[in-house]
This record gives sequence, structure tokens and C-alpha cells, in this order.
Amino acid sequence: MNKFEAVILFNPDLSNLIVEKEEKNITDNIESSDGKIVSTENWGLRDLSYNINNYKKAFYKFYQIEVSGSDIENLKKIMTQNEKILRYMFIRVENHQELPTKMMINEEK
Amino acid sequence: MKKSKNLRSKPREDRKNSPFEDRKRFCAFSQKNSPIIDYKDTKLLSRYISEKGKITPSRITNVSSKKQKELARAIKRARFLSLMSYTQKIF
Repeated sequence: MNKFEAVILFNPDLSNLIVEKEEKNITDNIESSDGKIVSTENWGLRDLSYNINNYKKAFYKFYQIEVSGSDIENLKKIMTQNEKILRYMFIRVENHQELPTKMMINEEK
Repeated sequence: MKKSKNLRSKPREDRKNSPFEDRKRFCAFSQKNSPIIDYKDTKLLSRYISEKGKITPSRITNVSSKKQKELARAIKRARFLSLMSYTQKIF
């Protein structure tokens, strides 16, 4: 089991209900592969610095998870096939950071 | 000989304005309580890109080579997530 950070960008046209459903799908996928979600953070609807698929905004979601590396490949495959996800990124970390992340701290100021 | 001796004996405050003064350069990320480089901290990363959005070389910012590598990686990650832009247009 390794520690990962994931950031997922959702389509801005989705309603809150569908976004929640998608999140549930992701958590189910992670837990079905013996993974564990340590914590999540909602960065909300943010402006993109450049257009992605002609969208100017996106819902940002941040996850701290624990899964084995081979399962990440599987998760990536599911996410690329999902049209509601604009972009995703997985990063392996040694230790999980304490929440809130720098992103939220900067925003409050 | 006498002149050079005088220069050296000057207090530090007088030499401050001299362009030849050898001020000690240090890496801003290698100190004891220096900030952690993180792709989520765009406020910090934005100080290390040029006006056009390029990563500034370490010879200008005095970041050590080890930390410069980390910094470059963090900036590239932030760019991928569209937290920072690859280019900044100047009109």
C-alpha cells in the first residue's frame, strides 16, 4: 500500500447532485480495490488558467488515498473513459499533509 | 596598500551601497523554517516564474539545484492542473 494524492477536475456543467454521484463512484472504485480514503477536500468551482475542452471553469476535488500502485492504473483507465472528468492527477507521497492544504489557506486570506 | 586597508576597515553599513559588495547569497528553501515546495501553493510558486510565465533560472533566484528541481516539478504539476498558466500573454 502506498500513499497517493489525487486531484480531479469535473465538468462545470454538472449539477451538484451528479457531482456527488460521481464522487461516490470514485470512492466505491477505490474501496473495491482494497484502497482507503484518508481525507478529501473540496476546492469548489474554480477558474481555469487556460481552456480545457473549451471549458473555462471546473469543479476541483482533492483526495488523500492509500492504495497499491497496480490499482492506480485501473483507476486511471476508468477516469479517462469518464466524460464528466476533465482531468485527473495522481501523485505518490511519502507522508500525507495536514489539512487544510495551502490552497485553502491562501484562499481565506 | 594603505587604501585597500582603509576599505576593509570601513563598517559594513558604508559598504552596503557598493555594487561590488559580496553579500552572502542563500537559498530560500534550504533554511531551517523555509516553506515546503508544493504544487498546491500557487502563491509561492508564482514568485519563481517570469512575466511571460517561464520558470526563472536558479542563477537569478539563488535556489539550490536540489530545490530547483523540486520547484520545477511543482510548477509543472500546477500547470497541468490549470492552477497556473503555461504562457502569460502581454498586450
